[in-house]
Order: sequence, then C-alpha cells, then structure tokens
Amino acid sequence: MEDTIFWSRLQFAFTITYHYLFPQLTMGLAWIIVFFKWRHLKTGRELYGNAARFWARIFGINFAVGVVTGIPMEFQFGTNWAEFSRFSGNIIGQTLAMEGMFAFFLESALIGAVVWGEKRLGPRNHFLATVGVALGSWLSGYFILTTNAFMQHPVGYSMGTDGVLHLESLSEFLLNPWAFVVFLHNQCAAVVTGSFVVAAVGAFYTLRGKHPEQARLFLKVGTIVGLAASLLVAFPTGDQQAKIVAKHQPVTLAAMEGHFHTGTGVQLNIIGQPDVDNQRLDNAIYVPDALSFLAFGHFNSSVQGLDAFPKDTWPTNIALLYYSFHIMAGLGTMFILLMILANIQRWRGRLEQSRGLLWVLMLFFPFPYIATTAGWMTAELGRQPWLIYNLFRTTQGVSEVVNGGNVLFTLMGFTGLYFVLGVLFLFMVGREIAHGPQGISATGKLEVSHD
Amino acid sequence: MIEIWYAIVAFMLVMFVVLDGMDLGAGMLQPLVGKTEAERRLVIAAIGPLWSWHEVWLVSFGGTLFAAFPNILAVSFSGFYLALFLLLWGLVGRGISIEFGGHVKDPLWRTGWNFAFVGSNILLAILIGAALGNVVRGVPLDASGKFAMAFFTNFSPFGNVGILDWFTVSVAVFTLVTFAAHGANALVLKTEGPVRERSLRLGKLLWKAVIVLLVIVTVETWQVRPELFSGMKHHPLAWLGLVLVFGGLLAVFTGLSGQREARAMLGSCMFIAGLMIAGASAVFPIMLHSTLAPEHSLSAYQNAAAGKGLAIALVWWPVALIGSVVYSLFIYKHYSGKVKPLEDTQSPY
Repeated sequence: MEDTIFWSRLQFAFTITYHYLFPQLTMGLAWIIVFFKWRHLKTGRELYGNAARFWARIFGINFAVGVVTGIPMEFQFGTNWAEFSRFSGNIIGQTLAMEGMFAFFLESALIGAVVWGEKRLGPRNHFLATVGVALGSWLSGYFILTTNAFMQHPVGYSMGTDGVLHLESLSEFLLNPWAFVVFLHNQCAAVVTGSFVVAAVGAFYTLRGKHPEQARLFLKVGTIVGLAASLLVAFPTGDQQAKIVAKHQPVTLAAMEGHFHTGTGVQLNIIGQPDVDNQRLDNAIYVPDALSFLAFGHFNSSVQGLDAFPKDTWPTNIALLYYSFHIMAGLGTMFILLMILANIQRWRGRLEQSRGLLWVLMLFFPFPYIATTAGWMTAELGRQPWLIYNLFRTTQGVSEVVNGGNVLFTLMGFTGLYFVLGVLFLFMVGREIAHGPQGISATGKLEVSHD
Repeated sequence: MIEIWYAIVAFMLVMFVVLDGMDLGAGMLQPLVGKTEAERRLVIAAIGPLWSWHEVWLVSFGGTLFAAFPNILAVSFSGFYLALFLLLWGLVGRGISIEFGGHVKDPLWRTGWNFAFVGSNILLAILIGAALGNVVRGVPLDASGKFAMAFFTNFSPFGNVGILDWFTVSVAVFTLVTFAAHGANALVLKTEGPVRERSLRLGKLLWKAVIVLLVIVTVETWQVRPELFSGMKHHPLAWLGLVLVFGGLLAVFTGLSGQREARAMLGSCMFIAGLMIAGASAVFPIMLHSTLAPEHSLSAYQNAAAGKGLAIALVWWPVALIGSVVYSLFIYKHYSGKVKPLEDTQSPY
C-alpha cells in the first residue's frame, strides 16, 4: 500500500504539473486573441488579422496537448484514487460532470473552427467562436478550481450515515470563498503567462529585425497586459490568497514561511533554508514584523508557528513547500519590476532600442510557467497530509485493488509519452515562431512564402 | 430518480460510441480509401472539426458517472486500471496525430503520423469493444464489492476471466468491424470522388461481416450471460433497441445499394445505438455483474449518489445538454454537405 500511495502521488503530481503547462497559456492567450480579432473586425487591418491567426495556430498546438494530457487527469480520480472518489464523489462528481457538460462541450465544438475554419465561418461568427473558446476555457478553470477548493476548504457538505460525504448545498459548494479567491489569482497568473509569451515573441522579432509591425504590436500588448496582470496577481488576489490560507490553514502558512515558533511581530522571510529537524531557518534574510501585517493586518499580530500544531497535521514536505512559495512570490515580484521597466521604456518610445531589456523580455517567458507551477505546489503540498482538509487523509484515498507495480508501469509510460509530446510541442511551436505572423490567409493557408 | 440517471449515463455512453465510433472507423479505413496524400487528408477533414466534441462525450460520461454513481466509477476504473491507461494513451495518440500531422508539409512527417493515427484508432476500437464486453460478461466482484483483474488470461473458454479473454476479444473484433463499417458510411456521406467510391465498396463488404459477427457474438453472449436475454422480456426499452438494430441494418443495406447516403448513415447510428440500448435495458438495474456470485453484483439502486446530489444535478444537466447541442449545431451548419478539400484540409507549410 505504501508503494501504491507513493507512486500514485508522484503520477498525479507529474501528470497534473505537465498538463497545466498548456492550459495556463491557452487561458491567458485566449483573450489576447479575442482582442486581436476584435480589432480586426473593427478596423479591417490585416495587421490584427495576421496577429490573431498566428497566435491561433500556436493556441491550437497548445490546446491539443492540453486536451490529451487533461483527459488522464479526470480518469485518475477513479483509477488511482478510488477510495477518495467513493468518499467524495457525491460532491466533486458534480463539478467534474459540470466541467464536461458546460465547458468541454463548448470548447471542443468550437476549437476546430477557431484554428482552421475562419473562411467557413466568416468574420463575425469566427470572432464569436473565439470568444466561446475563451469563455469555455475559463469556465473549465472555474469548475476544476471549485473541485480543488473543496479539497482545500470543504463547504456545503454533510457526513452521511453511509460513511461518505453528501452534498447539502450546491450554491455553497460552487460559491466557496476559497474557489473565488483562487480563481482570480490563478486566472491572473494565466494572463501573466500569456502576455509574457506574447512579449517574448515580440522581443525576439525586434532583436532579429523581422516582422517589425507585428513585433511592435506584440510588445505593446504583451507589456501592457503583462503589467496589469502581474500587479493583479500580487495584489489584491495573491494577498487575499495568503489571508485565506492564514485563516483556514494556519499550519500551512507557518510551513510556507518556515515559521517554526509562535510569536508576535513575526518576520517575513525572503531568503533562507529551512532546517526542519532543528526547527529553524538558516541564513535568513527577512523583513521584520511583515508576516504579522500581511496575514492579519497589524504589525504586532500573533502568528502561530508550526510548534502550535500537532505534528501529524504538519504538511509532509515542509522544505519543498517553503521553497515553492518563496520561488512563486520572488518571481512574481520580478515580473512586476520587469514590466514596469518595459512600460516606462515603451512610453518613452525607447523599448525597441533597448536591446538589453529586449533580451531579458525574450528570455523571461519560462519564468511565469515556473511561478505558476511553484504556486500550485504551494497549494497542494500545503494541503498535505490531507486529501480533503481536516476530513480525509491522503493515505486513505488510494485505490485498494491497484498495486504499486502497476502504478509505476503507468507512471513510466506517461514519462516516456510526455517526453515525446514535449519534444514535438517545442518543435511545432518553434516552427510557427520561426515562420512568423506573415501572409497567413483566412483558411490558415500561406499565400506567400517569406524569407 | 435513479432510473433517470441510469438512462442519462447510458445515453452519454451511447452518444460517445455512436459519434466517436464513426471517427475511429473512418480513421481506420484511411490507408484503404486514401491512396494519395491528398485523399488521406480528406479522410481527416471528413472526421472534421467536431472529432474533439465527439470525444468529450466520453469525458462527460465519466464525469456524469462520477456524479451519479460514484462507487461504480471507483470500482470499475480501478479494476480496469491498465486497460484504462492504454485507452488514455490511445486517445493521446489519436488527438495528437490529427492535430500535429496536418501542420507540416513533409512526406516523412505525414507517413509517420498517418501510421500513428491508424494505429491509435485500431487500439481505441479494440479497447472500447473489450470494455463493453467486460460489462456485458461481468467482472469478478467479490464480497468487498471490488475486483482486480488480469489484463489477459489464457483465452480458454473455461479459464479465468481477464480484461482480454476469448469473449471480450470477440466483442472487440465485432466492435472494430462495426466501427469500420460505420466509418465507411460517414466517408460515403462526407466525401466525393475516389475516396467515396472506395468507401462505398468497402462499406458493403464490411456490413456483411458485421452481420456474421453479430450472430457469433450473440451466441457467445447467450453462453456467458444468459439472463441478459431473459431480462429483455421485462424491459420494453430493450424491444425498442432491437427494433432499432433491425431497422438500422435495413436502412444501411438499402441506403448503400440505393446510393442514399444519409439513410445509410442514419441506419448505422441506429444499429449501434440499438444494440447498446437493448443491452443497457436488459441488464438494468445491475451496472456491474459479478462472475463470482450474483449477490456481489453492483446495482444502480445501491450505488447511486446519496443525498440531494441527483436531484440537484437533474436541474443543471438538461441546461448543459441543450447548450452542447446548440454549439454543435452552430458548427454543423457551417460544415454541412461534402468536405471541401481547399477549405477544410489543414494548411501545412
């Protein structure tokens, strides 16, 4: 059973982390494509039409990988976490079914037409289809985040006499305050990823001296949206997220911060290495009293340390949780600084000449992916040792009839398959970027071959 | 209430098998009906912009099963562990070969992806068939209400049951051929020229094979699960299913010989849906039959979601279904009629 738990956790962690690399771009990029298409519809300028088609092709590649890596996620609830499914299916079955019924049907019906069907649909309907896909992807995000929010902060349920959870109130479950906060935080982060990728491609073309008009557009949209989203992801959404963790999972907050001993006027650790055995943080660089203020609004508020909680409720991997949180927060701060700088240069009309800054913008696109991954690791490692917070432990949830060897087999299968998928994905997107946003006709066909 | 949810879950599975069976079948026939690369791309264009929507019926079936019968999902998904992952990997192969194969205009790239495409279609059809076979035959549920099964056994009619055994493999072969025949009808409807001619010829042949296999599988099922046939007497819906099966076959044969494409297409949808409706009605209320002892079987009545969940879901589910149909009609409207090679084949460079 130990083996099954270990490999099942690793398999879920690996497949969900890999999967989420793709939806975060499509959710962020979707609205940027909608914007290009809207400008195209209004102005009729091919600058916008080509921009929309170029990004729609990249969107399509991402979407395809997102779909095929997403289906295994839903199935793993039943295959690997059968006891969890049995225990909570009355509740989370609702949102997983809703995700399919409301969101996936919408997205899947329209995606083919969005990527390949501009001519079949005509400009207005094609615009509508693009809006539909964008809506569908955000809706899907909401349902899955509600599912996760129930695991983080269960509401709207009762414990049945049959030993499983029963749904009491759908509205309470769907309007879980945790889901609301995490949705805003997560969607802003997806827009950060989308806008940084758009800006990076703009910077690349500018540095190469190619597609100057498109490059200027991408830089402009990428940096404006990037600044707004980077700010929103920190404040108010990130701030609210931290407060809700402080309120409902105080032990998680303590572990995220490497805060071992309860006290007042607690410092906010910026850098340092947690030594869990000796309950201290090595080489700490910190801001005095700041954690008290951020968590509870007063510089002298008392913040519980890990020592205030029984050890069997501590997150199981405190060091990794601590680093995940600090990497996310540190990168988030850098995003804001970089985007402020880029926007200042752009307002001064100097961005296209600032080659150093363009290099940074071009090379920075992986970091939003790292930040969102670290953010999700914070949420999920922070939830441990529970599958459903304070109700159901991770060790209780695994399938009893599946042995560890079978899980290792499928985990290795996924590793190989996803490696191949990753190589193909990079090749395909690389080709699109190398080709550039020129001369893509309404059917997606290329009329003229450039350079 | 529980009857309604049983019907909804069955409906979603029927929709998936009918719609995606068409795509899988057409995909399998790609090398046989498409002799040039342009013709092979035409097959993919005929599967069209909605293959992903078809696949979502499986995902939504899974979600709906989860909401309505969580324990059935938990028991069957963990019990069919390896087979389900093969199915998932097959879906990855199919989806990626459709989406990536079209992007690059290079003969080697195309050949590779066509191969992956056909291979994953065949794998998926076999696995879906085997899964249906397992549900029909039953699984070794014990007193704990769970089962774990070997992926395959020695294939002897007297040996232990496996996910793949003599019975489920023959159901899988039947499914494979039926999907191919169903896909041929779709290609006749959606294409013109040589692809259509070849699909028509193949279709006529395949449908004859379907009849032969139908007889064989029916006799085998009689051996494996006799109460399925006695159960039909008490379920009027099973009779409706049988009417659909025979009416569908009639429509297919008259449609194909009389060049009435739409009738043949409708007929093959009726045939597949009819078989599944008959099966689902005959086994009701047993959702998972135990091969070890009938009292270990899992019934819809004991395994439906408890509490208010089912009543609540009955409010939102129809709304979502209407939405889904509206989106697909919006797309069907734009893509009605024959595939247009210039507009509908993906544009590589």
